Amino acid sequence: MKKKILVANRGEIAIRLIRAIQELDHEAVAVYETPDQRSRHIRIANEAVLLGDGPRCDYLNIDKIIKAAKRSGCCAIHPGYGFLAENPFFAKACETSGLIFIGPSSKTIYDLGNKVIARKIMADAGIPMVPGTENLPQGREGIEKALAFAAQYKYPLMLKATSGGGGRGIRLVESDAQMKAEIPVARAEALAAFNDDSVYLEKVVINPKHVEVQILADQFGHTVHLGTRDCSIQRRNQKLIEIAPSMIQNKELLDEICKTAVKAAKAANYVNAGTVEFLIDHNFNYYFMEINTRVQVEHTVTEMITGIDIVRNQIQLAFGNPLPFSQEDVQIRGHAIEVRINAEDPKNNFMPEGGKKVSVYRSTGGFGVRLDGFVYQGYIIPEVYDSLLVKLTVHGFTWTETVSRLHRCLENFVIAGPKTTIPFYKNIVQDKDFISGSFDTSYLEKHPHLFLYDEDASEAGKLAKLIAEIHYRKRNPFAI
Amino acid sequence: MTRIFHGMPVSEVLNTLRQANGYYITNTARDLSQSDFKNRILLHTDLLAARAREKAGYFSLEITGGASVHVDILRKQVNPFTKLKVLREKMPQTMFQTLCRGVNLFGYRPYPQNVIRFTVREFAKYVDVWRTFDFMNHIENMRPVFEEVAAAEKINEPCICFSTGPEHTNAFYVGKVKEIIAVTGGEIILCIKNHGGLGTPKRIGELVHAIKQSYPDLPIHYHGHNTDGNDVGRITEAVINGATIVDAADFSFTGYYGPPPVLSVIQTLKELGHTAICIDEEAIIETSDAIRDERKHYDQFESQIKGFQPTVQIHKLPGGAMGSSLEQASKGNFLDKMPDILHKELPRVQKELGNWWSVTPGSQILWTTAVSNVLGGERYGNPSGDLRNLLLGKYGPFPFYKPEEWIFEKVLGENWQQILEEEGGIEVIEDMDLAHERYALAEKIGIEPTDQQLVLYLQHPNDAVEFLKFEEQYGQVYVLPPSIFFRQGGFEIGEVLHFQDHNGKEHMIEIGPSPVIDTGETNVYLNVDHHQSIFNFQPEVLGGGQGKAAILSKEEILDLAMAGDMRSPFAGNIVEISVKEGQEILIGDRIAIMEAMKMQTPILSKIDGIVTWISAKAGDSLQPGDKILKVDKNE
Repeated sequence: MKKKILVANRGEIAIRLIRAIQELDHEAVAVYETPDQRSRHIRIANEAVLLGDGPRCDYLNIDKIIKAAKRSGCCAIHPGYGFLAENPFFAKACETSGLIFIGPSSKTIYDLGNKVIARKIMADAGIPMVPGTENLPQGREGIEKALAFAAQYKYPLMLKATSGGGGRGIRLVESDAQMKAEIPVARAEALAAFNDDSVYLEKVVINPKHVEVQILADQFGHTVHLGTRDCSIQRRNQKLIEIAPSMIQNKELLDEICKTAVKAAKAANYVNAGTVEFLIDHNFNYYFMEINTRVQVEHTVTEMITGIDIVRNQIQLAFGNPLPFSQEDVQIRGHAIEVRINAEDPKNNFMPEGGKKVSVYRSTGGFGVRLDGFVYQGYIIPEVYDSLLVKLTVHGFTWTETVSRLHRCLENFVIAGPKTTIPFYKNIVQDKDFISGSFDTSYLEKHPHLFLYDEDASEAGKLAKLIAEIHYRKRNPFAI
Repeated sequence: MTRIFHGMPVSEVLNTLRQANGYYITNTARDLSQSDFKNRILLHTDLLAARAREKAGYFSLEITGGASVHVDILRKQVNPFTKLKVLREKMPQTMFQTLCRGVNLFGYRPYPQNVIRFTVREFAKYVDVWRTFDFMNHIENMRPVFEEVAAAEKINEPCICFSTGPEHTNAFYVGKVKEIIAVTGGEIILCIKNHGGLGTPKRIGELVHAIKQSYPDLPIHYHGHNTDGNDVGRITEAVINGATIVDAADFSFTGYYGPPPVLSVIQTLKELGHTAICIDEEAIIETSDAIRDERKHYDQFESQIKGFQPTVQIHKLPGGAMGSSLEQASKGNFLDKMPDILHKELPRVQKELGNWWSVTPGSQILWTTAVSNVLGGERYGNPSGDLRNLLLGKYGPFPFYKPEEWIFEKVLGENWQQILEEEGGIEVIEDMDLAHERYALAEKIGIEPTDQQLVLYLQHPNDAVEFLKFEEQYGQVYVLPPSIFFRQGGFEIGEVLHFQDHNGKEHMIEIGPSPVIDTGETNVYLNVDHHQSIFNFQPEVLGGGQGKAAILSKEEILDLAMAGDMRSPFAGNIVEISVKEGQEILIGDRIAIMEAMKMQTPILSKIDGIVTWISAKAGDSLQPGDKILKVDKNE
């Protein structure tokens, strides 16, 4: 039966969700804030509801979204990533309003979102974890506990906000003196940011690889994994390039990590799609980090190597269907790489290019190429939303083939107007360490030459701009 | 018969010239472009000619210097260094020659010594032959250039600027040559710089002979202009009397004020028994064939007035300034006054001011003064700052005689003697803090500038910054032919443009429709390499604001002026606003002075009235039709 599903998001992920909904022969209802009124997701959806003038507040307004879903006759809401995707209160509000929240239950989101509860669940299940404390008690006692932990595990340590995530609310501590100074500051900051001042400590794994496992689970107790992804190439904990599967040349280790991920998901009674994140140190020790309870930006690389549509499965699972395949049916084939093409200036600390207009947009294509985009020619980079223009995902049979394909695609890509991350990625795909598959979270820091490049923009695009000027002004304004 | 080529040691070049049995030719492509095409010949055209020019066997290709460095960045949007690099790839053998204005380098006013030296060092990496002059023939003004050129092991070609009149004797010029050699030593080429194409063939022959008598080992390079149509005659006499190098240009592009057609020179001298050394006549014809079809695209830059001007012998304007003078007269609506200015006032001013050489920047001083004398009514009533500096001796001593005292009084005021005492003498310009300038440029363009970018910035600060920003935005546009770059009236829908970018990649752009959308914006659709691209243009705001006003026609500007709305008659900078709000003015009063390229033009009121509103200020860069001020008409 045809169902209506509300897409509580914007940008490329909104389009990704709408496509899956429509492929299932359901109808997608988009929501938007006024600054997004020209956006593509509104055109592609079957219906669209204006939430308000925003910016950003209406996409985060649980009441408005629930009302929009009710009024347009939706039976389910897909939250995408970001915004309300990992907000347990939103999932809860859906549950109490009789709407299906496409994702795990509000309780699972709550438990896994709280770092300390999550750690406890995992510890009980015997999942290997970075040594750490529980929530530190308030005041003097907390500081003493912290110092004792430091004495046992040695610095550096990571001081983390219990309710933080996505790279926010964490700080490196390297001495007792710093510890004493930082704990109160971290608490105040956490309270302001997450409305929760709890903090805890973790041993720091030096320059680890960031490897994660995609899992899918139905409500009948079946949990499968879709292999690994490596998201080590990050800047300040924000992922830039993701690959699947991990390039670690140790099949037993990766198999073990995947099995551990399934075990972790089961321990959390996890249903729907999720991602279990691990850190792997240079001695191949791996540690559970967290479970992300949403569809990830980088889910595309897993889809490419498995052929499994994660979003489609998310919807089917949320509607109570059993997983349509077993672990044995999941085949990993080849390699995939995804790059996030953002309107940002890598040379200027990845400053977003908000307000600039995309005057030329020419994408790439061909065998093994996938684009998940939101941008179009004439698109103005929003100053109030993120600067992701399009995700370029390539798939190849071998790693070498995949890297060459990515290089070719980046060369063919033309975006004029804002600065983009394309020239920066071009440097990465030509870097010998990347080509040989050896990178960890310190990759960018250790490869400063990646930031040296001439500003991109094809010569033809630039000359075309002058020709347009000559044509429009009926003379060359730069020559008379 | 030895070919002289790029990379040959200076001493070997000079010995080859001394032993030459015949003469060499310099292709003065830059001077042709400057004199007959307002400096607009594009690198694209020079590249079309490059292969055949290389084969032709010239002594050198004069391709940079003069006003071209400025126009390259201002109107052609090409980096003068890029131009030399790209040409060198196509022309590995031919020496490149420049024209340097001594202390004024490639600009119009003196530069500090350290800027001169830095600039010469950078250009000397690409330029083999340095033709250097000073408009007062004041040798000291050229010394830093001589020194840097010698240090770079390039060829110094100092000039004696030539003119006519009772003072301009052979003895005077031979004396100047002596002064030059005292500074440079004998390892130079001497240029006789006949920028106006003055004198008869006989006069030039005698001068060359006189110099050769005193300096038999000094190779002489004769440079002339064909303004009166008779430069082939002067070249002939120069060669007969011992000149070793002469200037001429590709005949399919020759006009009225620049160098004469090269083939005519060769044919004339051949009959007289003088051989053009290493010259391949077929390659010369091939060159003209290769570029002939391009000439029509430069039509808008050719002179407003067609025909040779034998009266140059009276007004003495240099060929390089003829085009811009006539353009200014045309745009300033005083073409009808030209006979008066050229044939009466200009010769009079020249004599009054000392009968020195009418060449940059002296020619501009003479011209501006003559124009202002004729249009302003009162002679020397509106002296320019440059005229004042001239009288103060800032550019050097008067070579023959000083102007009469009444002119000093007119220009400097009643207590002119005291002013002369206090302020007179050669201007000493303090060195600039180059590190600071580099920092200032970095701030403006957002990246650490290269030495070459800094050189451009030191020459023309604002224009260089604009150019560097243009380059960043529009790329290397020298690849575009004049049929695209200078297109007027836009392209046809469906027209397909082909070009190769500077990396050698082929591109194709098909012109699509340009609909105006509901917001008033225009979308220009171009099909770029089979991909549709849209370029969005904001509607133009008339009467100030961000957008550029539509260009008004000459008639519209005049009509507005008659109604009291004074607009800029041409593209240029405001040098001075000469009136104040509330001031009463009469027809013919000067309301402003504008400068375009190197010419200053007074803007005169067309009506009697009161100035009510001034919208432009000194330093503003205006387009034709931009507002200057408003006058309330007396009824």
